[in-house]
Amino acid sequence: MTKGQIINAVLAFMGRDGATDDQFNELALDLFAYQFENNSPFRQFAMQRARTPLTTRSWRDIPAVPINVFKDLTLSCCAPEDAERTFMTSGTTMGGVRGKSHHPTLAVYDASMTKNFKHRFMQDHETIRMGILFPPEDIMPNSSLAHYLALATGHFGTPDSRYLMREDGIDFAAVFAELERAEATGEPYALLGASFSFVHLMDEMQGLGKSFALPVGSRLFDTGGFKGQSREPGPDEFYDQLAARFGVSRGDCINMYGMTELSTQFYDWGNETCPSVKSGPHWIRSRVINPLTGQDVPRGETGVLAHCDLAHFNIVSTILTEDAGIEVDGGFLLLGRADGAEAQGCSMAVEEFLKAAQG
Amino acid sequence: MTERAGYLPGLADGDVEWRPLEFGRADETVKIEVPVLTDAQMKALVERVRVAGRRHLKSMPVARIVDIVDRAIARLLDRDDPYRKKAEALLPVITGYDAEMVRLGLTGYLKTFRKPGLNRFLAEDFTNPGILDGFQPMAKGGVARAFGPDVLAHIWAGNVPGLPLWSLISGLLVKAGNIGKVPSAEPLFAGWFARLVAEIEPDIAECFAIVWWKGGDGLRETALLREADVVLAYGGNESLGAIRGRVPVTTRYLPHGHKISFGMISRTTLDARKAVAAAHQAAYDVVRYDQQGCYSPHVFFVERGGKISPRDFCRYVAHELANFEKKYPRRALTIAEAGDVAAWRHQEEAKALAGNDSEVIGGPDGAWSVAYVEGQEDFSPSGLNRTIKIVAVDRLDDVAPRIAPYKAFLQTVGIAAPPEELYRLADRLGQVGVTRISALGQMTAPEAGWHHDGRFNLLDLVTLTEIEHTAEAAADGLAPYVD
Amino acid sequence: MDFQDKVVLVTGSSRGIGAAIAKAFAGEGAAVAVNYLTNAEAAEAVTAECRKLGGEASVFQADVTDNDAITGLVDGVLETFGKIDVLVNNAFRPYVFDPENRRMFWELDWSDYQTQIDGALISTHGLCKAVLPAMKRRAQGSIINIASDLVARPTIPYHDYTTAKAALTGFSRNLAVELGPFGIRVNCVAPGIVYPTDATRGTKEDVKDMLIANTPMRRIAAPKDVTGPVLFLASDWSRFMTGQTLYVDGGLVME
Repeated sequence: MTKGQIINAVLAFMGRDGATDDQFNELALDLFAYQFENNSPFRQFAMQRARTPLTTRSWRDIPAVPINVFKDLTLSCCAPEDAERTFMTSGTTMGGVRGKSHHPTLAVYDASMTKNFKHRFMQDHETIRMGILFPPEDIMPNSSLAHYLALATGHFGTPDSRYLMREDGIDFAAVFAELERAEATGEPYALLGASFSFVHLMDEMQGLGKSFALPVGSRLFDTGGFKGQSREPGPDEFYDQLAARFGVSRGDCINMYGMTELSTQFYDWGNETCPSVKSGPHWIRSRVINPLTGQDVPRGETGVLAHCDLAHFNIVSTILTEDAGIEVDGGFLLLGRADGAEAQGCSMAVEEFLKAAQG
Repeated sequence: MTERAGYLPGLADGDVEWRPLEFGRADETVKIEVPVLTDAQMKALVERVRVAGRRHLKSMPVARIVDIVDRAIARLLDRDDPYRKKAEALLPVITGYDAEMVRLGLTGYLKTFRKPGLNRFLAEDFTNPGILDGFQPMAKGGVARAFGPDVLAHIWAGNVPGLPLWSLISGLLVKAGNIGKVPSAEPLFAGWFARLVAEIEPDIAECFAIVWWKGGDGLRETALLREADVVLAYGGNESLGAIRGRVPVTTRYLPHGHKISFGMISRTTLDARKAVAAAHQAAYDVVRYDQQGCYSPHVFFVERGGKISPRDFCRYVAHELANFEKKYPRRALTIAEAGDVAAWRHQEEAKALAGNDSEVIGGPDGAWSVAYVEGQEDFSPSGLNRTIKIVAVDRLDDVAPRIAPYKAFLQTVGIAAPPEELYRLADRLGQVGVTRISALGQMTAPEAGWHHDGRFNLLDLVTLTEIEHTAEAAADGLAPYVD
Repeated sequence: MDFQDKVVLVTGSSRGIGAAIAKAFAGEGAAVAVNYLTNAEAAEAVTAECRKLGGEASVFQADVTDNDAITGLVDGVLETFGKIDVLVNNAFRPYVFDPENRRMFWELDWSDYQTQIDGALISTHGLCKAVLPAMKRRAQGSIINIASDLVARPTIPYHDYTTAKAALTGFSRNLAVELGPFGIRVNCVAPGIVYPTDATRGTKEDVKDMLIANTPMRRIAAPKDVTGPVLFLASDWSRFMTGQTLYVDGGLVME
């Protein structure tokens, strides 16, 4: 299939809400064949796993590319210089080397984001006044999150939605002004940003003894975890604090789980209980696997998440994350980064070695 | 079934709090109860061991101690002995290691501690082992006697069955009172050995104790550490660092950190006849205890220029690992361990994708993996659990400089090379910190008297009391028979 | 027997025993590389049948006596299927089996022998060598060479043909020793006369009757009879067998 045909097929599939397993499988295999043909590092990777489109019949058998491979290889079906946009990872998880995702067009990413965001975050709102605790897209053109938040405000924010960051960090005065205004007017308000920014904000509020009671219909959106950029509260502590500081219920605190290596995001339906159940739209499927064997772990046991995202058509659709998860009804529980094992013997393990070698 | 770990002379079972630890594999589960002592109990226990050690061990001739240990080991080697049966039944479930591998491993290891082996331990460290029993003449003049510590604390780590015996027996040989802390990963063997010795020689039954606390429990640890004269500890640098912080300055601290070992295969080994055998030995070193030992290989440096290329040697090793998987299956991995192996493998695969002639061969279900690398390769640990890297080199002589930066972590090197080369390599390896060189296939079976991490098993534990020549001479002047 | 995810290369599989072997593998879910020399149409037909049987298949034209062609064949199979788990060396040089008009020893020149030996061994040697890197890289593989029961019991002394097949079994045993340490197995399947194939279509009824009379199972092999032992030797069920020859002739030869 050509690039145009693939894009059309993916967009059509995203519009087809009742798509069946077979239809998903068929498109996943078409994408595999497309990426196998047009993305030679990926083809080599698949060959290394002795997988070719001809020998692959289920999306579950498509070899999942470990995300750390993104930093070493140019995984793209189009020439990187032909990409409309290239998103890069922050480099925090890969020793400073940034993984790249090239997008020849953002049409698919944008369609995926908006359709899913409307359903999962906006729910019954058409628009909402938004405050963004993240730098704008023009400052961070390679950040998928910056683009994502630009789409959110552009499509679903009221015209007076605004970014609440300055170069040196959160513009606390502006945040407080927005929140006070919402309290005063009773207009529902949405505050969106990186999880660690909320921690910074709440630390500031604590220092000032501030808290708010946002109007009914208001909601909070956090994503990305703390990444060592703030103190790291446990999930229950975090959402309790959010609820207390902003006067929204934990059920109205939505966490998004996404990554640069995907074009589709997962959400929960609020964080009344943690860990919350995450799920995505019909064009992405996840497996909880043993990362070594690639086999599904028995349902209910902890494994590592692998995702097959049909919207990520240009790079690789099927990736193996470093995130631990458990499959549950309606989605999966996200348990954070899969940590290294404790030493069983007196032989040195990689992690300890790296630590020791760095002194 | 429930088995109680530890050995607590003077404490009745009923007076101690027991904490259950569950172990399981396939459809077998075992419940082990480990003792949790109060501060006061620990203190009393240490005192009891100190007093008993002084009274009974210090006056016992070392030959008698050798005899007692030899008898205990003989029982552990006897496959009909109840302790041996228990070890064969429980250790595979607790550690997850293949039962046959545990059985053979135990026998090979325990043989090290029969009487001839024990005498070798003594001979290695003392020209005249009688120095442990009384004052002996010194080459420089005068006489000296070696005294073991009143209380020797052992902090053991890891799940390799029987490992605590090495230091515990060393402690007994120098007549120390011994308190050993067993790890949660294998809490049983040391306690069994202690009970056996107590059965064989009730006179010294209170000269040692085996305790437990949860790893990292600084409070309980401190209670023991401040009472000990010498502290021997095993573990990762982090925990060793933490222990160091708790050991009083005046106490001798002997840490054994995690180590990396590797192998070297000379081109002379790589002919049509010997290469397969060498691959078998190399794979055996990898398989033994799933690379959890400090002496387990992480890398094999294989020399180019033989009839069999390093690449084909790598493939021989792959097949040998596949064979061993059928004979001694690898223990089941937790998801975290599987993740570590997968991460290592993915990293090696990525290198192969980068197109530098690397390759990765893996068994089905990831039971073993071999990575082949050419050229300059950073020295780094394997993913453990039967993951091994074969690095092709032009000359084995080039290896030593490459590993020199890792001096602090190096231990064993298994070498297959002709004599002249063996000595030449050993010289270079010794200079960069390698402390043990063994034959290929013998990396995981150190011989009796091995100087663990290049140190003295017994000598490091004792203090010498010297009567200098002048004192002797002066005493002579005061003798009743003086003319 | 499950050959899902297994890749099988069968030389000379557009017709006869080779086609039967290809289809049998496909029926168990394998991906089959159907090699042919001239008859593209027949090869395509076999491929179509393989797919119908639930397997995957692709055709690969190659003269397996030509080393360059062999390299191209193996590269092509690897590119298409990603690996080669099983190699069946089935192709052989055409030979006329005619008991009445066969050539007597004194009518044969060395060049007749040489032709047959080349026919049986050049392609096998070339293919084994060509698939080796891919099999070594996975520390596994099964090579099956199609010999003949005439080697053990030359009911009719087709000197040149049988000598060549005997060389093939010797070749296979040596290779089995060499490749065992790599986890690669080499075995032979030695059918009796198989009817009907292009090579045996001319076999007279009385010859067949004579063979049947001496065969405990009281019939002559059909192409399908050969496939079972080939699949067995390709499978994990025979994972500890190498250097063996399985006779498939209804018990005519017993070893």
